[in-house]
Amino acid sequence: MPTRGGPRRHARRAGEVLPALALSLALLAGTTSCSVIPTGGRSVMSVDDESKGSPLGDPYARVVAMPPKAGWSPEEVVTGFRAAMASLDDSDFRIARQYLAADFAAKWNPRSGVTVYRQGAYDKFAPIGAEDRQAQVTLKGTKIAVIDPDGRYRPSGGPLNQPFTLARQADGEWRISTAPDGLLLSEADVARGYPPVDLYFLDARREALVVDQVRVPIDPGANFAKTTVERLLRGPSSSLADAVRTAFTGIGLIDVTTENNRVVVDLDGRVAADLVDPMSAQLAATLSALTKGGWGFEVKVNGESYHPDAPLRVDAQKQSSFDPWLAPGAVDPYYLAGDGLRLLGKENTGQPVPGRAGQKRLGLDPPAISGQSARQVAQRSADRRSLSVAPLAAGGEWRVWATGESLAPPSWDRYGTLWAVDRPNDHTSVLTRYDGDGKRHYRVTAPDLETAYVKSLKVARDGVHVAVIVRDGLGEQVRVGTVVGERERTRITNLQTVVDSENGRKIKDITWNDGKTLYALTDRSELLEASVAAEPASLGTGSRIESIAALDGRLLAGSSDEQGGRQIFYWTSSKWEALVKHENGTADFVENGPSFPAFPLG
Amino acid sequence: MPSAPKRRRRTPRQLLRGVRRRTRRAAGRVRRIFWRSLQLRVVTSTMVISIVVVAVLGVFLMQQIVSATLENRERAAKSEAQADRNAVLGYLSQPAAEAAKQPADAGQVLPGAGDTPLGQATAALARRAGSASRYSVIIRNETRPGEFYGTTDIDPRSIPARQREELFKKEPGEESTWYTPLHYVGQKTVPGIVIGTRLDTSGTALDSSYEIYHLVPLEREELILASVQRMLVLVGAGLVLLLAAIASLVTRQVVTPVRLARQAAERLAAGRLDERLKVRGEDDLARLAASFNEMAANLALKIHQLEELSQVQRQFVSDVSHELRTPLTTVRMAADLLFDAREDFDPMAARSAELMQNQLNRFEEMLADLLEISRYDAGAADLDVDSVDVRDVVLRAVADSEALAERHSTRFDLRLPGEPCMAEMDSRRVERILRNLLFNAIEHGEGRDVVVSVAADRDAVAVAVRDHGVGLKAGEENMVFDRFWRADPSRARTIGGTGLGLAISREDAILHGGWLQAWGAHGEGSQFRLSLPRVAGAVLRGSPLPLVPPEVEMRRTWRGQMTPVLSPAAADGGRDAD
Repeated sequence: MPTRGGPRRHARRAGEVLPALALSLALLAGTTSCSVIPTGGRSVMSVDDESKGSPLGDPYARVVAMPPKAGWSPEEVVTGFRAAMASLDDSDFRIARQYLAADFAAKWNPRSGVTVYRQGAYDKFAPIGAEDRQAQVTLKGTKIAVIDPDGRYRPSGGPLNQPFTLARQADGEWRISTAPDGLLLSEADVARGYPPVDLYFLDARREALVVDQVRVPIDPGANFAKTTVERLLRGPSSSLADAVRTAFTGIGLIDVTTENNRVVVDLDGRVAADLVDPMSAQLAATLSALTKGGWGFEVKVNGESYHPDAPLRVDAQKQSSFDPWLAPGAVDPYYLAGDGLRLLGKENTGQPVPGRAGQKRLGLDPPAISGQSARQVAQRSADRRSLSVAPLAAGGEWRVWATGESLAPPSWDRYGTLWAVDRPNDHTSVLTRYDGDGKRHYRVTAPDLETAYVKSLKVARDGVHVAVIVRDGLGEQVRVGTVVGERERTRITNLQTVVDSENGRKIKDITWNDGKTLYALTDRSELLEASVAAEPASLGTGSRIESIAALDGRLLAGSSDEQGGRQIFYWTSSKWEALVKHENGTADFVENGPSFPAFPLG
Repeated sequence: MPSAPKRRRRTPRQLLRGVRRRTRRAAGRVRRIFWRSLQLRVVTSTMVISIVVVAVLGVFLMQQIVSATLENRERAAKSEAQADRNAVLGYLSQPAAEAAKQPADAGQVLPGAGDTPLGQATAALARRAGSASRYSVIIRNETRPGEFYGTTDIDPRSIPARQREELFKKEPGEESTWYTPLHYVGQKTVPGIVIGTRLDTSGTALDSSYEIYHLVPLEREELILASVQRMLVLVGAGLVLLLAAIASLVTRQVVTPVRLARQAAERLAAGRLDERLKVRGEDDLARLAASFNEMAANLALKIHQLEELSQVQRQFVSDVSHELRTPLTTVRMAADLLFDAREDFDPMAARSAELMQNQLNRFEEMLADLLEISRYDAGAADLDVDSVDVRDVVLRAVADSEALAERHSTRFDLRLPGEPCMAEMDSRRVERILRNLLFNAIEHGEGRDVVVSVAADRDAVAVAVRDHGVGLKAGEENMVFDRFWRADPSRARTIGGTGLGLAISREDAILHGGWLQAWGAHGEGSQFRLSLPRVAGAVLRGSPLPLVPPEVEMRRTWRGQMTPVLSPAAADGGRDAD
């Protein structure tokens, strides 16, 4: 028995020891393993692209309103009041009103618009004694703009000289007893709290997007995309009120969020079936400044997908496919050279256009190219008494469409109608709109222009904005208006000066860059970028420029040298470069060379 | 209880009592199950202990994870806050004219040129914090109007008032960190850290009341920690259940053989001596089974031996009885002769003959009884069943006992029902039982009345014989049926019982599937009750007559309620076997 029991006991012991050994080894490995973080493996985790930024608005600094402190001097009270006015989270201006004397606080109306000033400083009348009951603090500076209640930012000049009257209250504290209605904000306050927003609406035919430049106050309680869409849903500002349509009627916004790399716009109702596309384009265009083109959209209704069976996904660049003229991309320019019109092709060399216009020009006068797919060119005759149109197709002949006493250069709009301005005398202008076939024409009502000398008129590519050069006593000014109505009911309203006349300055040429900015060339060889929402900004100078043409950021200029040679230049955001290459490969000024560049429309 | 008043309305108190009773009953049941099942007990204790261990471990682990996560975040936030503070100081301390030219960190051109230095600084911090709401900043200087800025959508309510107080007690540059809910304008509140400090403006022309707060939301940490916590709870619960399952499995392995052993022992106790356990393996339980089997075998052997011995003894008694009969017959004949001729003898011899005759009668009876009982022992007794009226049997037995009763001047008090009480029985044996009982009653009745009651119900009939003699002492109710047992050994046998009468009677009753029971109390007399099923072979469930005479029972309860002190007799007797 013992001889048989011996090996068996050994075997059992080995069987017990082996699992115990394995367990202790595993424990040892678990507790003292060299690293918890795995090394030598590939990670498949992906995060949102930070460089795309947040589509719902960038971070910003904001002023927090604080109530007046005891013992502040009149200047400090006024400073505190200005800060409280600039504060965005106090929507009822409750804290701002604490700076006002009780009876004035009830009367003060903060909602009658915003006055924007620059370089505010105080001008004090006299030192204040301990017994004084009244004090006056005057804020001095430069007035630069006004924001009206519907958000239009209108540049305006002039000095600011705003007095504030303060009264000592029963408790010995100074409170403001008179101040202007509306808000008085510094440029920085407005830059911080009222960012510019481009709202996009539809033209009358609901096929073009029309920009409405407004300022939207930031609401700290909502993301800026939501604030923007809310403003979009409220409709256009007064300058576009009659001229544009919107796909959103009677629809409210619930929220704007992000989900799966898409910006989700949650509405509380649906639009008519034929308006889904325009609505998507409006949203995409309006939010594109925030999304920087990198985010797609999805429209939901009450948190559910728009269509019962499928979500409504909107491409990030929906606006471009909806309205090809919003960002047309590479469109080749036309220009005059030799005896006819040429199209700049590859290698920057020109080819004569087909048809008669490529062989014979009517004069050395700016041509206007239509926007239809079958392009047409319109040009004024050398005696300025007629406008002729020629199709840019084989066999296209010049045909006279309009005649007059002294016609301005023509302009096409996106609907294929030609705009002509006749000036029988220096105080009368007659605006006429010619239908696509040149047979019917309608008189355009424009009360502000009919009694002035309109030097030039350019219809923007959105079909709604129109820019005119008007001659007045001081010189020439550029004004921008909107086209309302069609055919015989066409009128031009809401004319607004974007480039002031000063000291006999003349405007040689204007051209639309896009729906909101236009370039103006002065006779002092100054190139201005103008917009209804900003002061004209000088882009630089270019000597001997005769005419300009622009399209979506590309700016061309026709120029001549002392010997009468001509060449077209393009602007590289710092300097001018010669554009058109001749057969010999050079790009010099040549006699009877390239001149009067023109893009379709604009 | 008749069912008529069952549907009575119950008061709330009764309902409550009912609920309490039911709960107590359920608790009792659970307790019983708990204490009866070893497995349940082991599993329960394992679960309780593992829950405690897992909870302690989980809390500890969670604390570690929370502090590690938050420490990490706080450290990162603090270093960012320090960098931001230097940037702000840079903005504030430069001359106002240069402020407009100050490039931002990101290399962008500042929007809002002409802004106040503090506004620019806040804008720079807002850009630095980024769009992904890493943190928010609030900068303020309470002494100067308009110097209160915040980034994006942070609500200044988020700064606890106590933190500001603390900040103004501390030196500029010292940090104060608070964990507090962060409020955002128009949004939900999230937990977060607020790192506040007063700007250390020593060496510049600025005053020292610029407060800078960095508000770091801990929303993501909260989410992570919540999911970790959920995970821990899940894993802990799983672990506890797993441990319970393991404990259950292990105890099952131990308990199942034990349970088998218990069942085998029970069967063994019930008399199945061939019950054995299966022996599997060679562990402790197998050895237990082996020992059990050995024990069972030994027991069976011993019992077999004892049975054999008993058999031999019974055979011996039977043989002795038979063998004694032959000489006894001879002796009897001689004694009869002597007895008949006793008048011829002298008085002394005549008396002897009479004595001999008497004792021979007794001897014969004893032998008959011995033979009868040995027949029972041998299992040779059989029943001659017939349907008879119990009243007739009783009357016959009473008639047989009249002579003896007269001698003892005892009267019978018969309480018989009016209708016949038919039952299937061997009337000869039953008559013998009754005769025995009556003789017994007369003998111990001390001349008082003997009450004979008969009753019947659907299943059974019963006859009770009640005397009013000295009665029985406590514990004697069962001993009266033992063979040759005497209530008082000194007491003379007046009617010359063999000492086997009641034993035979009980055997007879058992043979019928009935009961023969005795009740007695000192000074109260005694009562014997015979209960028989109406149908032969049916199992008897109850008796139509009470074992304790009703008048005694009544008196006892009455006395017990009124003066418990005065009832020493209440403690004993009165057991009803029903």
